Amino acid sequence: MTIDAKAAKDHSVVERWIEDQREWQKTAMTYLDSMVKNDDFLVHLGNAMRGSLLAGKPYPTAPPAAAAPAQEAPADDRLDRVLFALHEMQGQLNDLRLTLDELRNGGKGKPTAMSRAKKATSSKATAKVRRRTTGARKAGKKRG
Amino acid sequence: MSTSEDEQERELEALLELSRRGRAKLERLHEVLTTPGHYGTGATPAQIVYTENKLRLLRLLDESGQPRAGKPAVLFVPAPVSRYFIVDLLPGRSFAGHVAAAGFDVFVIDFGTPTSEDRYADLAYYVDGLVRRSVRMVTTITGQPAINVVGYCLGGTLSLLYSALYPETVARLVLLTTMVDGDVQGGIAWVAHRMGLEGESYDNPRLVPAAEVKSWFEMLAPGSNSLVGRVSDLWDRLDDPAARLRDVRTMATWVDDVVPAPGRLLAELYRQFGPGRNSLMTGRTTVGTRVVELAAVRMPLLSVSAEKDAIAPPEGADAIVKIVPHAEVLRLPGGHVGIVAGRTAASLWQRTVEFLASPRG
Repeated sequence: MTIDAKAAKDHSVVERWIEDQREWQKTAMTYLDSMVKNDDFLVHLGNAMRGSLLAGKPYPTAPPAAAAPAQEAPADDRLDRVLFALHEMQGQLNDLRLTLDELRNGGKGKPTAMSRAKKATSSKATAKVRRRTTGARKAGKKRG
Repeated sequence: MSTSEDEQERELEALLELSRRGRAKLERLHEVLTTPGHYGTGATPAQIVYTENKLRLLRLLDESGQPRAGKPAVLFVPAPVSRYFIVDLLPGRSFAGHVAAAGFDVFVIDFGTPTSEDRYADLAYYVDGLVRRSVRMVTTITGQPAINVVGYCLGGTLSLLYSALYPETVARLVLLTTMVDGDVQGGIAWVAHRMGLEGESYDNPRLVPAAEVKSWFEMLAPGSNSLVGRVSDLWDRLDDPAARLRDVRTMATWVDDVVPAPGRLLAELYRQFGPGRNSLMTGRTTVGTRVVELAAVRMPLLSVSAEKDAIAPPEGADAIVKIVPHAEVLRLPGGHVGIVAGRTAASLWQRTVEFLASPRG
């Protein structure tokens, strides 16, 4: 190898090294930019640093030992007991409504009162879903 | 150029290559972390047809936004200690979506995220309350007196108990990675037993934090409880194309996004199904005040286990034939999550569709 050829090759390695450093700076800036502009990015990056690709929330980690007593069952649990009893009653009421529906329909099991009660929820959810598909949007326009 | 100079140059080139690869991985990670995906929303358009406490009963819609009315109904019952969307993960990788596209009117239970007061929820609340009323809603809406039920993991346990209590409402039952033999080594109950944990209190239950539930799963999956191991796995994965990584991310989100668990339910599961108790195998299971008679499970039953399942070991799931002799048992290659939503899950989906569609013998 001549001295000139060797110099050219060395130069090329140095050049590539410098170029590589510039690329690293760009990558670092991209990360910094996302950290500043995207509130969720830090959470996602924190998860990735734990080896997790969990999206939308921090990786579930146990609280520090000092916070452990907070995990115990609360001393005064009356409110929770009442709330849970209300949930149970809600279920029993739904059972009653379904039974009434069945009686009204001669036991044929077609939804009436119960389904009407749920219609608002259903149509809201359906509308939300329709926005997600082009075909569904078209169907919605036709109906409208 | 001398030999040492050649070596130096080769080392420098190797360093440059290492640097380039590392940067490419970080750029791919950045792309994945900044791209929105289907995280916890379900992949298939659906409408909510029933709500109770945190539960939502979803009915999948077809391409025109309409329910598949008139088709045989299928109810998916996922595990209440994880998120429901594992059965409806991504477009093109949705178990429930595949079954719906095969000509079924599919409903999916989303048990939601329990809050403080739900720590009092027990087995009866789930089986005789939430699951029973969900089935009732499906039968009411569709007009079909008996529907197909597909239960996954603990959702399979709830489905099996429900089917034994109300067999006339279940046409066919599919159990996916559902442990029935609690004495088989492996699984959360066995780990708790082995570690000598007292278990949750039934009388004074707590809401078990998600992090604690997560730590139990990590104990069962070798390597996943090691920070170094997890980071190393992720770093290796970053060579994959970004599109593949987005799929991996959706799956990883499901795996890591566990929900808090009602302590009373866990206490009861451990007391009834844990090692040494094993009430399903001994026929002493109770739901509330009712004794579960598994002999009542006469509908066609398919139980699917996964060869590499650390959460519900296949031997513990396949034991269903000892208590429901007519059960069809299928063991598939893969793990607890992979057989339902992984890249090879299509074989399970197809087998399930065939089972649901086959004429009743």
